Amino acid sequence: MKKTCCKLLCSAVLLSVPLPALAAEISVDASTLFGIGQRDVSGGKKESLLPATQFLGLDVDRLADGNLSLHTYGWGRADLADKSYNGKNEDGSLTYGYLQYRFKQANANIRAGRTFIHEGIVNEQLDGLSVRTDLPAGFGVSAFGGAVVHGKNLSGENSDGKGASLFGGRASYRYGSMLELGISGLYEAKAPTLNSYTHGSHRLTGIDLWLAPHKMVSLSGQSSYNPETKSVAEHSYLLTVTPLQQLIVSAEFNEYHSQNYFNSSALFTSKHMLTYNPSERSRSIGSSVSYQLTKELELVADYKHYSRQLGGADRYGAETRFTLTRPAYQSDSIRYGVGYHYLHAGQEFASAPYTTASYHELRGYLMHDTKGYFAALDALGFFFKGRKSAWEGTVSLGYHFTPALALSGDISYGKNPEFSDESKGLLRLTYNTTFAQNGVKK
Amino acid sequence: MTRFKLTISVLTRIGLLLFLAACAQMGTLPSLPASHPEALAIGQQVNCAECHEDQQKGTLKPYKAFNHSPVFVKSHRFYAASDDRLCSTCHKSSFCNDCHTNKVQIKPSTKFGNRPDREMQHRGNFMTMHKIEGKLDPASCYRCHGRANNERCIQCHH
Repeated sequence: MKKTCCKLLCSAVLLSVPLPALAAEISVDASTLFGIGQRDVSGGKKESLLPATQFLGLDVDRLADGNLSLHTYGWGRADLADKSYNGKNEDGSLTYGYLQYRFKQANANIRAGRTFIHEGIVNEQLDGLSVRTDLPAGFGVSAFGGAVVHGKNLSGENSDGKGASLFGGRASYRYGSMLELGISGLYEAKAPTLNSYTHGSHRLTGIDLWLAPHKMVSLSGQSSYNPETKSVAEHSYLLTVTPLQQLIVSAEFNEYHSQNYFNSSALFTSKHMLTYNPSERSRSIGSSVSYQLTKELELVADYKHYSRQLGGADRYGAETRFTLTRPAYQSDSIRYGVGYHYLHAGQEFASAPYTTASYHELRGYLMHDTKGYFAALDALGFFFKGRKSAWEGTVSLGYHFTPALALSGDISYGKNPEFSDESKGLLRLTYNTTFAQNGVKK
Repeated sequence: MTRFKLTISVLTRIGLLLFLAACAQMGTLPSLPASHPEALAIGQQVNCAECHEDQQKGTLKPYKAFNHSPVFVKSHRFYAASDDRLCSTCHKSSFCNDCHTNKVQIKPSTKFGNRPDREMQHRGNFMTMHKIEGKLDPASCYRCHGRANNERCIQCHH
């Protein structure tokens, strides 16, 4: 918590430095949340929960020559009553905090600090440096390297199972409006040896693809290979067909080789993941059809089949969404959505003593947002066969004091097999403003 | 062996020359603006092709590929993995980190209880549901909780 506060404070101090930052554009996102709840611990006392959490984001653009920017985001929590979570009265995290320099050409940029990397098959968070640029003739390259951002230590261990450092990159080629092909990889330093877990080092390489042989057809996806286990880890592909502007038909295929895909996760390869089978190859195939009836109303129907060594399951359903926004008032809108899905899954996917994992899922929401007040209703239910259902309803009501400052509160109530009933409250103060000339980022 | 070394040396020099030639031309390649020049409606399904010609120079796909249809929203990882510089013209990194992060303090659907229209995972009582969904498709859990953001998982799975 102290560490996070220091980092956020340092970022704030940086902002006050009288560099040639007079033309800087500053954007602040702050949300203060007060949770209210009670917890009945089996065989213990009733606990009162009053966690106060502050989320804070700062973006400063147009620093120095106008191409340098600073971006930070993090949160801190203090419990005003009993400990709400992870046995601590206070906690915090710096989600990201980096300086970025954007070049005027070739979409080139350099980032230094804590950042997220999304490059082909790579999805990582690191404390370090990343660079990318377009090259002529449709080529592009990126590279990154730095220290791994660690999480909480695993139970009974002095580590979270990750190596100390990480580097990698991606090279890509795009041909017209038809093809993009990328090759990417990452190499993490040797994973630490743990007492109760047997996992491997995090090293992956792979390709990502976008192919549009016709203006109505596109294929996106990626395949990855684990050089540690010397075998394929994942294939994930999505085919999209758009025969009409309003109609989109899609089909997806996903395949995961457990030992190769989960290899670097101490948690997922442990004996505590009861259904982990190193030799397993799991698959899912699915399809969806979406139709935009009007600019405001869209309908979606979808189907997915899951296939594992322990059995197969099917999920299918439909939903509709309606969004009406008055363009002159961005905050004046009415939105609603309703959906139904059914999962057909046998005993192999159920937890004992239940004989089936099938359930019906029903959801509906309604929102009204005006320049002054805003309100939302949300209801979600999972209805099982032969056992208690799980459902929850939430009412939210708020008021915009200014376009940037709003106060809102949520009350939710539900019943489920875990608790006889569950009620929660949340008070939310948000301040989101920017002092920029251009469009506001969300 | 000498021939092999010679081949490597020649290839390296050719590669270096090509790289320098490419760098010399980079000044002619355009960059996207840092942010979208106009504000866009919140919660509206974005279709870039409504205003932009379906043609893009450099390494970006055509704009119509980024139409925020329901399929796009559910499969946005494929686009974020190769085109996050376009995403970042409209979205701050924190928009992504509302769900994708290293350490979540509060369930996204609870943090944004006033925005039920946003696609957010684990709505309702996921404590009950994860016992089924985790067996059904563990790879979908792994993407977020495999190597990070698993403080809650290890409380029981240890």
